[in-house]
Amino acid sequence: MTDLTPKARLLKVLRKEPVDRPPVICTGGMMNAAIVEIMERTGHTLPRAHFDDRLMTALAEDVTDATGFENLGVPFCMTVEAELLGSEIDPGTLACEPKIRREVFPSVSRVEYQDVRVLAGSGRIQTVVAAAGRLARAHPDLPVIASLTGPVSTTASIVDPMSFLKELRKDPEGAHRALDYVTDLLVEYARLALAAGATAIAIGDPTATGEILGPKMFEAFALRHLNELTDRVHALGAPVILHICGDLKRVRALLPQLRADALSTDAMLSLKGLKAEFPELTTMGNLSTYLLQSGGREQVAGRARQLVRNGVDIISPACGLSTSTALATIAAMTAAVKET
Amino acid sequence: MSDPERVSDPERLFQELSDAVVEMEEERAAALARRAVAEGVDAYTAIDRGLVHGMGRASQLFEEEDYFIPELLLCSDAMYAGLAVLQPHLRRDAHAVKPKVVIGVVEGDTHDIGKNLVKIMLDASGFQVVDLGRDVPPQRFVDAAVAEGARIVALSTLMTTTMDGMAEVVRLLEAAGVRERFRVMIGGGPISQAFATRIGADGYSANAAEAVRLAKRLIDVPAPVPELSA
Repeated sequence: MTDLTPKARLLKVLRKEPVDRPPVICTGGMMNAAIVEIMERTGHTLPRAHFDDRLMTALAEDVTDATGFENLGVPFCMTVEAELLGSEIDPGTLACEPKIRREVFPSVSRVEYQDVRVLAGSGRIQTVVAAAGRLARAHPDLPVIASLTGPVSTTASIVDPMSFLKELRKDPEGAHRALDYVTDLLVEYARLALAAGATAIAIGDPTATGEILGPKMFEAFALRHLNELTDRVHALGAPVILHICGDLKRVRALLPQLRADALSTDAMLSLKGLKAEFPELTTMGNLSTYLLQSGGREQVAGRARQLVRNGVDIISPACGLSTSTALATIAAMTAAVKET
Repeated sequence: MSDPERVSDPERLFQELSDAVVEMEEERAAALARRAVAEGVDAYTAIDRGLVHGMGRASQLFEEEDYFIPELLLCSDAMYAGLAVLQPHLRRDAHAVKPKVVIGVVEGDTHDIGKNLVKIMLDASGFQVVDLGRDVPPQRFVDAAVAEGARIVALSTLMTTTMDGMAEVVRLLEAAGVRERFRVMIGGGPISQAFATRIGADGYSANAAEAVRLAKRLIDVPAPVPELSA
């Protein structure tokens, strides 16, 4: 098993097959490792790389080369989908990721529906798809992960989030309609990325938490649309990694209903405990990004080894990394996992 | 539920106002507030023992995890609907001077759900809230706090990447020699008490209900009646 490629290893884990050791990855998107230190060294910099597929490709390669993560991940932000759907974005800076400047619709009832096939063929989805294609062609042994912003977060990035949250109760049909539309776009995005050569789809949906929505709304909206997206990506023949933010306390009982192939969580959660409670779950995570930023190399390596000992299936940061994280610390994390 | 047009005793009306807020019924809260005005019920008392009382119950349900953010937002809509009716009828002497809070999401982050919740809860607890919005540069917090004569500067972020902006606000307050004039409170997903201590903030709260208790504790002031601050 020692000559397992990183791509084969990750795919095996996602199929629940035994491997020599857990992969150590960083999906891109919400959870990306395009830190300032790397960009300053190579000159492949954000924000330009958000808008240029060759630069995006080069930056994804830089990140993998420098950090030792066993995958390539694109894009480097969570605004690709919302921008395409009409929201105004701020492109950010070298050290600060892009953000939504203004959600385009005041309420779910005002969403203007367009043809998602036409939409997906335009804008920065094309940039990401082209980068994923280049990466896949150049690195057949590495898994290329296309990271999507989940349906709830994307919808809350095109509809004013305060209205959207209220409308989950006041206008559930309208909310579902908007979520269906966003999900359709995400499926189309995933289809294009996979056709270009991406290995897996990651979904980060930070607005879809039990803390924000509560268990009932999580089940009615997040679970439903995340599973629909997952099922449709599965139908395209690819695995899905899902990241859920927060402590999961309020939605713990619902976790077995999620149909993603791996569940990534925040640092405050014990993945050992989660595995004990739900042995069938493939777990991913959850090295504190706070520790990555402020802890020493030894401390980080120790934590990574502990995650491996705890039986975590895929080792990765627990959340979005600070762009001021030191490269040496990230490298200590990946090296520690590879030594096991 | 009783018919809001029917004349009733004030105690009953306060309870119904409170219930309308807890039950997220915006139109009923406004209708009951209009009835309070029509029946000559004191506006201050109707706000305090009706609307604000209801928002307090909603906050309790939120802490007990019976209500979550969508419910709390709808309760606040009902409270504001009632306040909009009752406010113009407040007697002049009921306008107590309220402690001011300057609030905003630090630069680099446009997630403002948490900040908006804290704003609503402070509003309902007798603070005057000056909302700087989201993606606010550190210097703006300082300028606004000084210009408004605020007692508290409240900073929020949901992103690990923007936490440093909070420390920057504290540094700028110190650099301007005005740090002692304000209490700085912080909150948001990645924030902890340890981080608050490290950057020299005066307090951290994990949620909106806690933020109100923290604000009251920080300035040691019993809260008077609320007014619309937006």
